[in-house]
Amino acid sequence: MTKLTVQDIHLGYGPVQVLQGVSFNLKAGEVVSLLGASGSGKTTLLRAVAGLEHPSGGRILLDGKALFDAAQGLNLPAEQRSLGLVFQSYALWPHKTVAQNVGYGLALRKVPAAETQTRVQAALDNLGLGHLGERYPFQLSGGQQQRVAIARALVYNPPVILLDEPLSNLDAKLREEARAWLRALIVKMNLSALCVTHDQTEAMAMSDRILLLRNGRIEQEGTPQELYGAPQTLYTAEFMGSNNRFEATVEQAGGNTVKLQGPGGPLLAQGRGALRHGDKAQVVVRLEQVRVAEGPGPNRLPARLVTAMYLGDRWEYLFESGDLRLRAFGHAPRETGAQHWVELPAEACWAYAG
Amino acid sequence: MMSTTTSLPAALPRAPRLPLRGLGRWLVIGVTTLVVLLPLAMIGYQSLLSAPFFMPGKVVSLDAYRFVFDDPDFWFALRNSLLIAAGMVGISVPCGALLAFLMVRTDLPGRRWIEPLLLTPIFVSAVVLALGYVVAAGPSGIFTLWWRHAFGPEWWDVYSLGGIAVIAGLTHVPHVYLYASAALRNLGSDVEEAARTCGASPLRVARDVSLPMVMPSILFAGVLVFFLGFEVFGLPLVLGDPNGYLVLTTYMYKLASKLGIPSYHLMAVVAMLIVAVTFPLVLLQRRLLRSAGKYVSIKGKGGRQVPLRLGGWRWLAIGIVALWLLLTVVIPVSGVVLRSFVTQWGEGISLVDAFTLQNYRDIFEQDNLVRAIVNTLGIGVIGGALAVGCYALIAFSGHRRHDAATRLMDYLVLVPRAVPGLLAGLAFLWVFLFVPGLKEWRNSMFAIWIAYTVIWLAYGMRVVQSALMQVGPDLEEAARTVGASAGQVSRQITLPLVRFGLLSSWLLVFLIFEREYSTGVYLLSPGTEVIGALLVSMWASGATDLVAALSVINIAMVSLGLVVALRFGVKLHD
Repeated sequence: MTKLTVQDIHLGYGPVQVLQGVSFNLKAGEVVSLLGASGSGKTTLLRAVAGLEHPSGGRILLDGKALFDAAQGLNLPAEQRSLGLVFQSYALWPHKTVAQNVGYGLALRKVPAAETQTRVQAALDNLGLGHLGERYPFQLSGGQQQRVAIARALVYNPPVILLDEPLSNLDAKLREEARAWLRALIVKMNLSALCVTHDQTEAMAMSDRILLLRNGRIEQEGTPQELYGAPQTLYTAEFMGSNNRFEATVEQAGGNTVKLQGPGGPLLAQGRGALRHGDKAQVVVRLEQVRVAEGPGPNRLPARLVTAMYLGDRWEYLFESGDLRLRAFGHAPRETGAQHWVELPAEACWAYAG
Repeated sequence: MMSTTTSLPAALPRAPRLPLRGLGRWLVIGVTTLVVLLPLAMIGYQSLLSAPFFMPGKVVSLDAYRFVFDDPDFWFALRNSLLIAAGMVGISVPCGALLAFLMVRTDLPGRRWIEPLLLTPIFVSAVVLALGYVVAAGPSGIFTLWWRHAFGPEWWDVYSLGGIAVIAGLTHVPHVYLYASAALRNLGSDVEEAARTCGASPLRVARDVSLPMVMPSILFAGVLVFFLGFEVFGLPLVLGDPNGYLVLTTYMYKLASKLGIPSYHLMAVVAMLIVAVTFPLVLLQRRLLRSAGKYVSIKGKGGRQVPLRLGGWRWLAIGIVALWLLLTVVIPVSGVVLRSFVTQWGEGISLVDAFTLQNYRDIFEQDNLVRAIVNTLGIGVIGGALAVGCYALIAFSGHRRHDAATRLMDYLVLVPRAVPGLLAGLAFLWVFLFVPGLKEWRNSMFAIWIAYTVIWLAYGMRVVQSALMQVGPDLEEAARTVGASAGQVSRQITLPLVRFGLLSSWLLVFLIFEREYSTGVYLLSPGTEVIGALLVSMWASGATDLVAALSVINIAMVSLGLVVALRFGVKLHD
């Protein structure tokens, strides 16, 4: 069942077009992430759904009812949309206690005081904050503040919860724990959530589907596996992982596999987009797909190991082959300065037109 | 060890050990202390004498205090002052806070041009406004007559104590607005948006989130308005007169005529009592300002500010702003302007028939009035520039220094703020009469200028210091590390960088000097006429036609200054 429908949203500030026709659906119980670089319009899109930005065109429907419809001149103010929004900065009100922060939405809905108290306590207990109700926000740690912000957004059972970079204000270690905790919470409570993030790992970990935004348009949409494993465009491929990228010339096109002449010799790769004989192509290979091989073979090239960096769970190598520099992961310490054979597997090489 | 250095760093030429180095700073501090404290000391000394200080038979005694405390008029005036001050707080704080919220945090249409209008009451002198209310909404005021014609008897009375309090409250709304809006500007939007998404309407957001978060600033402004309530002079002078409502300042002003003898000692006592009320309030204000930062320990994510969409609420918001503007700006200003162009008005008199330019012609035929116009322009342009120069010297003497002298100056500049302009003028008059060798200066514009400069010290310091603070400490520290002395940094780095800031301070001080009226009252003499003070004395003589025309000229001067200021992008507040 579709919870939230966003159709062809346009939004601009003066001459700057921030959103240029974005459409997507959010199904009940689904987590969708809006992923993109800064300036891609992801936060603006979330704020437009929340009613904090005023798009110039398109429609936003919640459970089939219009929240915003440019054609009809309809734009429900934020307070009438009853969505839950968790702010990047948490935006806790410093002059209210934790319980008052969480209970404010209920007070606005004229919920009787006794019921408010039980529901606030239940929400706080649910998030492991049961004992902090009387504290003020500044007396809490960053992680606790984040939970209060989530409790505040959930307490009146909004149909959809919106999360604006929910983890970015936490320090790195805490962020990974919070990510797992938040995903578990969303699954446990069967929430429908729309989440903005600039971190592709976070997006993949948190969501069922990802919308990758670029310059106010959706670049690619799909499950995390689709976006990471089968990026349709060079931008998506570059955005979603750590890559080696170099230029090559198309020798033979047609079919899925194309034959290229790369800087290190002939190369077989998966063609993406219209590639013709003689075209320049951009080749992208994920770091973890590059293998160190024992001897020569197809898609292998000789390279000198410039340096090896120990990362704890693995090694990162930097190879040099002529002008080409390749990075790769591995599990063994290797002698720097020595010649190796590096394999770029044909099924993991993506060649993009351009 | 820097063993790799190939050559020793070039030795800095030692800054010449001039005997004057550092002396300039102490001179500034000394002179400031003197001009601030001497007049106050003069008042204190005079209040302890049994007669004016120039009388031969004076002795030190508490007789003057006894006299004042035994005078029922004093207690009446004190009660009225308290009521008016309380009424002003009750009206200006909620109105100012609400206006600030609407102007700063919402998408209210027309904010850009409403803002200068909102600040008008600060830049138009209170006598002019009071006069405007009399001719517009008084018992025979032009709008009152229209109202009577259309709706029957009016239900207000500008001459009642309540009327005075309401008018004083409305005209002090901008003071609260300034502080509340400055604080609101520093508040991140996210805390408001959070309330919005929780289901709060814009006015609920203002009530539950934005205004509580800037409560320290509002409290600060409330204290300011309360002590300004003890200092109001023009409004109660004009509006309180018909029904005999005295306040402390008008009580003091009228002591002389009441007794028919020079009563400096009694006036000094009242002055001391007023300062005894206001100075603790000024200190309280300072404490509040200090604790303001502590109250809000975490703000929203500052910087990003998105105006709150009012949606359907915008009409209510426009209505609130328009009503306040109508009551506080449009009615008195239009009243006084209309009045200046007619010979008379009343039931059945057509304004078109009564139209005249005679009032203005009369002004230009009287030497003292022409002089007043010239003097007023001069005190604003030249005096304003000199005053800004002085403020800048004082500001530089304490700029980024943290010693006892700087702290002393911090408190010192607050002192004149506790002294109503009327008292300051009086005190300077006494200083000029009392200190040998100053008598010749008494009848010169210098007397007016020094009194103006001292009375607006706190305001001037604030605008100049906020200009200085815009120079990042890094720029100055960089100059220090390459070898500049503190004085060289001030002259060669900070001063050139704050030139524009000082120019805009000059414009602001010009505006304030143009509108000032009470400080010149006791310094008025042939040759030192300024419009504000002249209005006060002419109003007493009943020359309404001339007073109205002169008021309009004064408004025109201020408006011109405002237009120039806005044209050059001077921020009217910080």
